[in-house]
Amino acid sequence: MSHAIEVQNLTKIYPGSGEGFLAVDKINFTVDRGEIFGFLGPNGAGKSTTQRMLTTLLTPTEGQILVLGHDLAQNSYPAKRQIGLVPEESNVYTELTAWDNLMFTGRIYLMSKADRTARAEELLKDFGLWENKDVKAENFSKGMKRRLSIAMAIIHKPALLFLDEPTPGLDVQSTRAIQTLIRQLSAEGTTVFMTTHQIEEANQLCDRVAIINYGKIAAIDTPEKLKQTFQQVQSVEIAFTSSPEGLKEKLTTLPEVSTVLKIGDKWRLYTDSPPDLLPLLMRFSEKEKLDIVSLNTLAPSLEDVFLQITGQQVGSVSEGPSQQKADRRRKKGKQS
Amino acid sequence: MKIFWKRIKDELSQAWVVTLKDIKVYYLRPGMIMFGFLMPFFMFFSFSVRREMAAGEGMSRLLALTIFFTAAAAGPFIIPTERRLGTYDRLLAAPMSLFTLLLGKIAVGAFFAIVVSSIAAIVGILFLDAAIAHPALMIVGIFIGSFTFSTMGLIFGSIPTRNPGDVQMPSTLIRWVLLFVSGVFVPLSEMSTVARGISYISPLTYAQDLMNHAVLGTGELALWLNLSVLFLSGIIFLLPSIKLHKRGRVLGY
Repeated sequence: MSHAIEVQNLTKIYPGSGEGFLAVDKINFTVDRGEIFGFLGPNGAGKSTTQRMLTTLLTPTEGQILVLGHDLAQNSYPAKRQIGLVPEESNVYTELTAWDNLMFTGRIYLMSKADRTARAEELLKDFGLWENKDVKAENFSKGMKRRLSIAMAIIHKPALLFLDEPTPGLDVQSTRAIQTLIRQLSAEGTTVFMTTHQIEEANQLCDRVAIINYGKIAAIDTPEKLKQTFQQVQSVEIAFTSSPEGLKEKLTTLPEVSTVLKIGDKWRLYTDSPPDLLPLLMRFSEKEKLDIVSLNTLAPSLEDVFLQITGQQVGSVSEGPSQQKADRRRKKGKQS
Repeated sequence: MKIFWKRIKDELSQAWVVTLKDIKVYYLRPGMIMFGFLMPFFMFFSFSVRREMAAGEGMSRLLALTIFFTAAAAGPFIIPTERRLGTYDRLLAAPMSLFTLLLGKIAVGAFFAIVVSSIAAIVGILFLDAAIAHPALMIVGIFIGSFTFSTMGLIFGSIPTRNPGDVQMPSTLIRWVLLFVSGVFVPLSEMSTVARGISYISPLTYAQDLMNHAVLGTGELALWLNLSVLFLSGIIFLLPSIKLHKRGRVLGY
C-alpha cells in the first residue's frame, strides 16, 4: 500500500528581484495512511509553504509530491478529490449561513443533494452548530468559524486532511473539541497532516512529527523517540518557600546544571544527570536556608527537543545562527 | 468517452456553483455597486448632460457603457478580495480545473452586466421612448459583450495580489482610457483617421458599433466583424488570466 504522502527533494524558492528566497530546501519525508503527522517549526521555517505545495496551492521549484499515490505535477485532480484543507485563517464565507457554506462546499466536491444534506446535518450537529445553521457566519465567534471551516473541509469525507495551525486563539472547549475530532477522524482512517507551532498539542495528538527549520527537515520520528534522543535536556523542577535576590545566579553555578529557568513560582534546572543533581540541591537548600516546597525530575518534553533542534537555547529567545538565515537568501542563478 | 463527458458536466456544474455563490456573496457589496452599477450611469449622465442627443443614440451609448464597465468590475473586485480572506484557496484546492474556476468568475461579471444593462434598456424604452431597431440583436450583443468584458476584468483580477485596491486603480484607469478612444462619446464617423485607427484596437469600439446596429439599425462597421471581434477578444483575454494565475501559484498568492 502506498503512503498517503511521499515527498522527494521538494524545494521552493520564492522569486525575488535578482535574488530568490529559499523557503524549502530539498526535503524528503513520507506520511503513512491513517496516521496523524505533525509538521512543526518556528515561524518562517517553511511549514506553510510545504503544506501549500502539498495541497496544490503553490508550485514547487523542484521535487516530486505523491498524494495518495497521485503525482501532483502530472495530474492533481484525483488527489484533490480526496483531500480536505483547513487553512490557518478560517476561510468561511461570512455572508453565507453555516448551512449554505456547507452546501456550497458539498456541491463543489460533486456530492449528491441527498449526501450533502445528510452529511451537513450530521456535521452541524456534531460540531454544535445545528441551532445556528441559518445564521450568517459573520455573526459566529472565532471558535464557531473554526469548527465550520473544519466541517467544510471534511464534508466530502476526505482520505487526507490538511490542518494549518488548528487551534491557536481558541478557548479551551473549542480546542478540546477540535482535538477530539482529529483523533476521531484518525480512528476512522483519515490521514491527518497538521502544521503547528503548539508543541504540546503535537505531542498529544501526533503519531509522528517532523521538525522543519530553515527550510530543512531537522528531525522526524515519534514524539517519544525524539524525547529519548535528547536526554541531555532532562530537568529538575524545584520550588522554594521564597526566592531571594541572586537565587538564579547561585543555582546556575551548581555543578551539572546547564540552564536555569524561572517558571511561575518554580525553578527548572536543565541537566544531563538528574540523580547527581538531586543531592546537590538538598545541600544547596540547607546552606541557603531555603525550605523546599516541591521537587520533581522531568524527562525531556517535545518542546525541549524542539528548542534544541531549532537551535534555540532552552529559556532563550535566540533566533538561531544568522548564517543559516543568510544562506536562505541566494541568487536564483546558483540553483541547479 | 463517457468519462470525458461526465467530467465536462461536472466541471460546468462546479463553474455554475461558483457563480451562484459569488452572486449571493458579492452582488450587493459596496465595491460592486460603486464600480459596477453607479459608475457607468454617473459617467453617462455627466457626458450626456446639455448635449443634444436622440433617445436611441443615448440608449445605445448607455448600453455599451454599462456592459463594458459593469462586466469588467467583478474580476478586479472579487478575486483579490477572496485572496485576502483566504476563500480563494478553497476554490483553488477544490477538484476543478483552473479554466472551470475562471469560467465561473467570468459568468459572475457577465450576469451582473446583463442585469444592469437590462435595467438600462428597460428605463430607455419605458421612460425615454427609445425604439429598438433589432431587439434580438441587442440581446445577443448584451450577452456577448458582457462575457467578453467580464473576461477582460478577469485579467486584472488575476494579478497576484491580496489587496483589491492594487488592482482596481489600474483597471479603472485602463477602462477610462478605452472609453475615450472607443467611439462611445465621439462617434467613429467624427473621428480623425489616427483616432479611428486607435479605436480599432479597443474591443469597446465593436461593442458600441454593435449596439448602434441593434438600437439605431445602423453602424460604421460590419455586423459580423463586431460580433467576431467581441467573441475572439473574449477568448484571447482568457490567456493572460490563466498565465497570471499560474504565476500567482509560483509567487505564493
